[in-house]
Amino acid sequence: MSIMTYNGAAIIAMKGKDCVAIASDTRLGIQAMTVATDFQKVFKIHDYLYLGMAGLATDVQTLDALFQFKHNMFALRENRNMSPSAFLAMVSSTLYSKRFGPYFVEPVVAGLTVKPDGSVEPYVGGTDLIGCISSPDGFAVSGTMSEALYGPCESMYKPDLEPEDLFETISQCMLAGVDRDAVSGWGVVVHIITKDEVITRHLKNRMD
Amino acid sequence: MASMNDVVQSLKPAGGFEFDLCARNNMLKQMGLKAPKATSTGTTIVGLVYKDGVVLGADTRATGDTTVEDKNCEKIHYIAPNVYCCGAGTAADTENTTALISSQLELHRLATGRHSRVVTALTLLKRMLFRYQGHVSAALVLGGVDLNGPHLYTIYPHGSTDELPYVTMGSGSLAAMGVFEAGWKENMSEDEAVDLVAAAIRAGIFNDLGSGSNVDVTIIRGVDDVEVRRGYQILNPRPYARVRPNDLTRGTTTILSETRTPIHAGHVEYTNEDAVDMETSPVESGGPSSS
Amino acid sequence: MADLSFLHATKASAALPAQEMEEASFALPAVADPAAYQSQLYDPASATPLHMAHGTTTLAFVFKHGVVVAVDSRATQGQYIGSQTVKKVIEINPYLLGTMAGGAADCMFWERELGRQCRLYELRNKERISVRAASKILGNIVYNYKGMGLSMGTMVTGCDASGFSLFYVDSDGTRLEGQRFSVGSGSTFAYGVLDSGFRWDMEPEEAYDLARRAIYHATHRDAYSGGQVNLYHVREEGWVKISADNVFDLHYGYAAEAAAEADAEAAA
Repeated sequence: MSIMTYNGAAIIAMKGKDCVAIASDTRLGIQAMTVATDFQKVFKIHDYLYLGMAGLATDVQTLDALFQFKHNMFALRENRNMSPSAFLAMVSSTLYSKRFGPYFVEPVVAGLTVKPDGSVEPYVGGTDLIGCISSPDGFAVSGTMSEALYGPCESMYKPDLEPEDLFETISQCMLAGVDRDAVSGWGVVVHIITKDEVITRHLKNRMD
Repeated sequence: MASMNDVVQSLKPAGGFEFDLCARNNMLKQMGLKAPKATSTGTTIVGLVYKDGVVLGADTRATGDTTVEDKNCEKIHYIAPNVYCCGAGTAADTENTTALISSQLELHRLATGRHSRVVTALTLLKRMLFRYQGHVSAALVLGGVDLNGPHLYTIYPHGSTDELPYVTMGSGSLAAMGVFEAGWKENMSEDEAVDLVAAAIRAGIFNDLGSGSNVDVTIIRGVDDVEVRRGYQILNPRPYARVRPNDLTRGTTTILSETRTPIHAGHVEYTNEDAVDMETSPVESGGPSSS
Repeated sequence: MADLSFLHATKASAALPAQEMEEASFALPAVADPAAYQSQLYDPASATPLHMAHGTTTLAFVFKHGVVVAVDSRATQGQYIGSQTVKKVIEINPYLLGTMAGGAADCMFWERELGRQCRLYELRNKERISVRAASKILGNIVYNYKGMGLSMGTMVTGCDASGFSLFYVDSDGTRLEGQRFSVGSGSTFAYGVLDSGFRWDMEPEEAYDLARRAIYHATHRDAYSGGQVNLYHVREEGWVKISADNVFDLHYGYAAEAAAEADAEAAA
């Protein structure tokens, strides 16, 4: 068994029209045994930026604390928030500094970049466990069964969806994905981030 | 007791790699848990010297194990206004190594007031790779034009280098070299050179499983005379339209609970909501002074 | 008209063609030590280990009104869920049930072979085989292949002249008679529910609910169990399939029940 599948996870981030969504499952397992069904894997960095981490749960929590700290220090010094791409660069260099003794996480970010005219630009991106950034056009996935998440995303995703349609798309992709993965699922949480509000929803799904 | 400042200092990157998790990771390995594979670019990258400069080419596939993780990634990295570098190997290594050397060269240009030379980039890269004894797995094709004319080098992960008129690297290097060996001649025109580079990358894309998608080309004619042709040839577009299932109407997904949090634009919010506001004097509009 | 005279033969083998009498068997690999060769194939440390489908929760218990058998229906290949609708109760004949844990193909094949041999026994002896004898046939077969990579954890249960009985048979050659068994990766979770809720004199409906809940709780905790709960009841007149409930419906049904109970308590 791989370290990345020791606890189990599934995460998707998706771009919409002036909005982004990020979804994760809520299982914490120790290999085959499910020990919690309310484990947090998506973290709020600021109003327009959420970070999801799949991988070894201990590292997920360590890095959440570290990234919150780093972002807070930045915000105190600069009196502004990090843009999603700048935050991902910070994540990347943090992970790469441990190139030869890595944290076992694959982070995904979803956020809105505020442009000078006040409008927002959706951003999704992710890195591998040693911080190689990829910022794809439409969606980013991470987790124990990324194959089972890629499939539904490739077929169901389309660009420029309105927030409610983006919610249906990311939710159905998540549900389809976790139903083929033995070690993720047991609850799904979805955040839809728009210019004016963040909508957080828990989905009804299989609990086996 | 550690002060806040100590904590901040301790978290500042000291530069270089950190090995503090190695002991724990070895323990996990001994428990029988396998370490995952990082994203790699099983790649086709090439370079070619022509009459007036250098042409670099690359495919755009990034893989994680057997999955295509990025169908259109960028493998031709900026080093300096007159130097670019194609990377193959572990993606994070090629990305960070080229970025690091790029930044060192920029500082060097600022310190000396001169344009970078390709050999300088070469030396910095090979020193770095040799120091890490091949563990930083970056296989590079470095090309550029400086006061001594066009230069093209290959750099292997252990730090050895070559200077040649036409080179290939990555898992598709054999296919690409086949094309070069058949088609290369001295003093090619720019159009001929670009055509040959694209043909070599196509050979990699279509014959090597680790390479795929599109051809990227960068032409370096001189300082600030560089043409980056990102997506020069889009060879593998999706042959069918993406049809979203019709029944994915709103309300399909059953929701157990919902919370809505309004956002007040322009307001900086710290994530620790219990934190007490710090007393600060108004920030000067000019930002930090440059004296 | 078919020649049925062998039915009256005093010795079973007298009129039977030799071929029909043969037990089903595998061609063994042509090496000096087939068992050692085979076991190396399944060794996880070997260069190219063969992986078998595993991960299951099955249970069976004997009580006043017979035997209740309940199983999940998930098949996994590594982390991948291959199927949520596998039939893990094998209907050997109208009086005998077998369960499936470990290698699906091994269980299916050998329990079908067991069914064939039980039918031959009936034809020869003009009476039904005992559960004890049937389980021993299966135990002997797998013992012959010991160490060669068979993977089975099964329960054989049914009703015969001596009443209801339940046997556990696995590919190590273990064969145990008992009143209560649970087999598979989720078995510990199922035992927890089963042992705390079991009474000998339960009514059938209570027993069904207990068995269903035991499997449900196992599917909830064990990643490799899930799908639906298939439930059987072995009675004197043979087995009956009682129900097949999707775990999705069970979970939200039980949650609603618990919420209603909590409300009632709060009101009281």
